[in-house]
Amino acid sequence: MKEELEARLLAAHEGDDRFALIRLYTQAADIANDLDAECFFLTYAYIFALEMGAAEASGLHARLKAYGRED
Amino acid sequence: MNAPITDLSQVRNSVEQAHGLPNDHYIDPGVYAEEREALLFSQWAGLAVAADVPEPGDAVPLDFVGLPLLLLRDKDGDVRVFQNICRHRGMILVEQPRKIEGAIRCPYHSWCYSTKGKLVSTPHVGGPGHNTHAAIKRNDLGLIEVRSHVWRDVVWINVSGDAPAFEAAMAPIIERWKEFDLPIYHGGHDSRITLEVQTNWKLAVENYCESYHLPWVHPGLNSYSRLEDHYNIELPGAFSGQGTMFYRQLTNENGDKFPDFEEVGAKWNEQAEYIALYPNVLLGVHRDHAFAIILEPRGPEKTVEHIHLYYSVPDSDEGLRMRNAQLWKTVFEEDIFVVEGMQKGRHATQFDGGRFSPVMDSPTHCFHDWVAGKVETHRAKARAAE
Repeated sequence: MKEELEARLLAAHEGDDRFALIRLYTQAADIANDLDAECFFLTYAYIFALEMGAAEASGLHARLKAYGRED
Repeated sequence: MNAPITDLSQVRNSVEQAHGLPNDHYIDPGVYAEEREALLFSQWAGLAVAADVPEPGDAVPLDFVGLPLLLLRDKDGDVRVFQNICRHRGMILVEQPRKIEGAIRCPYHSWCYSTKGKLVSTPHVGGPGHNTHAAIKRNDLGLIEVRSHVWRDVVWINVSGDAPAFEAAMAPIIERWKEFDLPIYHGGHDSRITLEVQTNWKLAVENYCESYHLPWVHPGLNSYSRLEDHYNIELPGAFSGQGTMFYRQLTNENGDKFPDFEEVGAKWNEQAEYIALYPNVLLGVHRDHAFAIILEPRGPEKTVEHIHLYYSVPDSDEGLRMRNAQLWKTVFEEDIFVVEGMQKGRHATQFDGGRFSPVMDSPTHCFHDWVAGKVETHRAKARAAE
């Protein structure tokens, strides 16, 4: 993960900004080098989207399910 | 904790001969724990009011006699009660009242549940980025739902899960008050009163269901609700209370009154009733307003009374509401020294449970008889299981 993205993620956690966390973890997944790393970050994005009832949840779920990582 | 076996034989005598419940039923932690099972968990008990969770997603954590619960209005608007724990590590899910926007996320490992209690995600449960595992069957691991029912806005729960259906268990009171089977509207923040009282919860029931004390403790009521206008209400095994044949409506300086519950009928023009539904819900009905009191036991010698006032319309006059709330608050506060005084009196070692006026105290005796019967049944089951 790029240092800048990591810093923004830490700041979002610090500020408990769930919508930023959804966006930033999705970005982290998008630039991940391998499938496990992508799914690791997608999971965070998906869980925060689920919690917030965010529209992104269905798309994130679909990505994880396509990889066999979610029901 | 082993409860002392109290002698209840005299409690179940006729009201002329009976003694009240022994002291230990008010002060002993072991008996309190026994009554938790015998009286509160095995029945339909009052937990809260539906008005506590007015919108879908509203969630309120509650402690019901030591049991951590979550009161929730789900996305479809149904009120539900769950044990407030994650099925993973038993972590408390919701610590403060709040809105659930989407899913309930456990703050520990982020297992997520829908507002209907379904386990919807188990992040990393099969390793990092692997969110499923064959051993973790989500359909078997939803939130533990507590049987609940909403009636007269009270959220009733049956923790043991084996009480008769609510409509069957409460059929006599539902029939008695069928004219009041009409929409009721919580008066809002000015119609909630919370009183912390240093007493066992049963003494609040006992004081509520008899009219004997009214002229002595509530002299202000004498002017329009005299003792001789009152009658006893008793249904052994279910409820007891009092009624009055003279109810005078509240008015403001302009002579305005609350609108009546439409179609409630002429029978209730001047009649009102106040009934303790065993174990812990106190209800009152009048032609133009109603109230519900949930008694929250907080230990053998502490109770919180949650008082809620209801009206026939959603937009009743605010000034009248304030006046009515103050009137009832005054009445209920006048009762505090009585229930706290009786509680202190339960530490007098020579007190034998006391004797009842066969005429005036029979609603209280009816409650004691119910308590003794339920406790005896509980003890018999425990002995049979040994």
